[in-house]
Amino acid sequence: MDYKYIEQLLERYWECETSLEEEQILRSFFNQKDVPARLLQYKEVFSFNEADKENRLGDDFDARMLAMVEDKPAVEAKRITLWSRFSPIVKAAAAIAIVLTIGSITEKSILKDMPEPVQSDYMAYPQTYRQTDVVTATNNVDNLAIEAGIDSMMPINAANLANDQQQ
Amino acid sequence: MREISFRNDVLPLKDKFFRLALRITRNREEAEDIVQETLIRLWDKRNELHEGMENLGFTICRNLALDQMQKKEAQNVAFDPALHETADSDDSPAEKLIAKEGRTLIQQIVEQLPEKQRSIIQLRDMEGKEYKEIAEILQITESDVKVSLFRARQKIKEQYVKLNRYGL
Repeated sequence: MDYKYIEQLLERYWECETSLEEEQILRSFFNQKDVPARLLQYKEVFSFNEADKENRLGDDFDARMLAMVEDKPAVEAKRITLWSRFSPIVKAAAAIAIVLTIGSITEKSILKDMPEPVQSDYMAYPQTYRQTDVVTATNNVDNLAIEAGIDSMMPINAANLANDQQQ
Repeated sequence: MREISFRNDVLPLKDKFFRLALRITRNREEAEDIVQETLIRLWDKRNELHEGMENLGFTICRNLALDQMQKKEAQNVAFDPALHETADSDDSPAEKLIAKEGRTLIQQIVEQLPEKQRSIIQLRDMEGKEYKEIAEILQITESDVKVSLFRARQKIKEQYVKLNRYGL
């Protein structure tokens, strides 16, 4: 059998010119049972990765990892529709609209039973004026009373003064 | 949009990340912790990406492994291969020796390579990644990947032929 192709591949392998497929051909070749003696010395180079595949993590590692990951609640992306995004605002707006409507309806129905308020306005003025006069007058009376109080205290002060002078 | 499941999409990547982390740290326990952190970070990012999850995972995994190595270096803990031998094998001493013989030569050569070359060898020869993907994972240029891989393969060839000649 002619091993020229393999030798050629091997040469190109050392020069890093082989593709992954060609390297796989080399690996399969060297992993078969009868490798010609002259190429046998390279067997190890290509069976090395088979030995490396034996380096594995056990099932206990899986169990531990799964326990760790499943403890953490998964943060899942939630689908948000336009409605679900704005529904609180829309609902609030609807509630306000209902309240306003009911409010204005009841206001109208109450006002219907009441007399026209605008006409009584100018009639109310003199009355208010008169009331203000009364208040001012009362204030005046109070002021007079206070002044009288001060006057009535005068004799006491005078008496005290006299006492001081005597001493 | 397909929903990403931890069990079906993220967890199956664990062994690939484990092998890269192991290639960098050379320590099983550390590699396992790194994979755990990588998977969690990947899971947290699931809503941001829908493809390229594996390559992003490799990037996260490598960066975590490099951080770990830096921390260790800062603590001045020297790497002692005897400490990191797998002690959980039930094989008889003879079987162990055969397994070791069959592996160590090439394993030792790869282990002596600089981290970047080791990671590239891992991604190319073990995980079958294109140069473009490796460049993306390592956040370097494609030509940088090729140069590093070339140096790594030349070193492996040279060392392997030399050791094989004297060893056998």
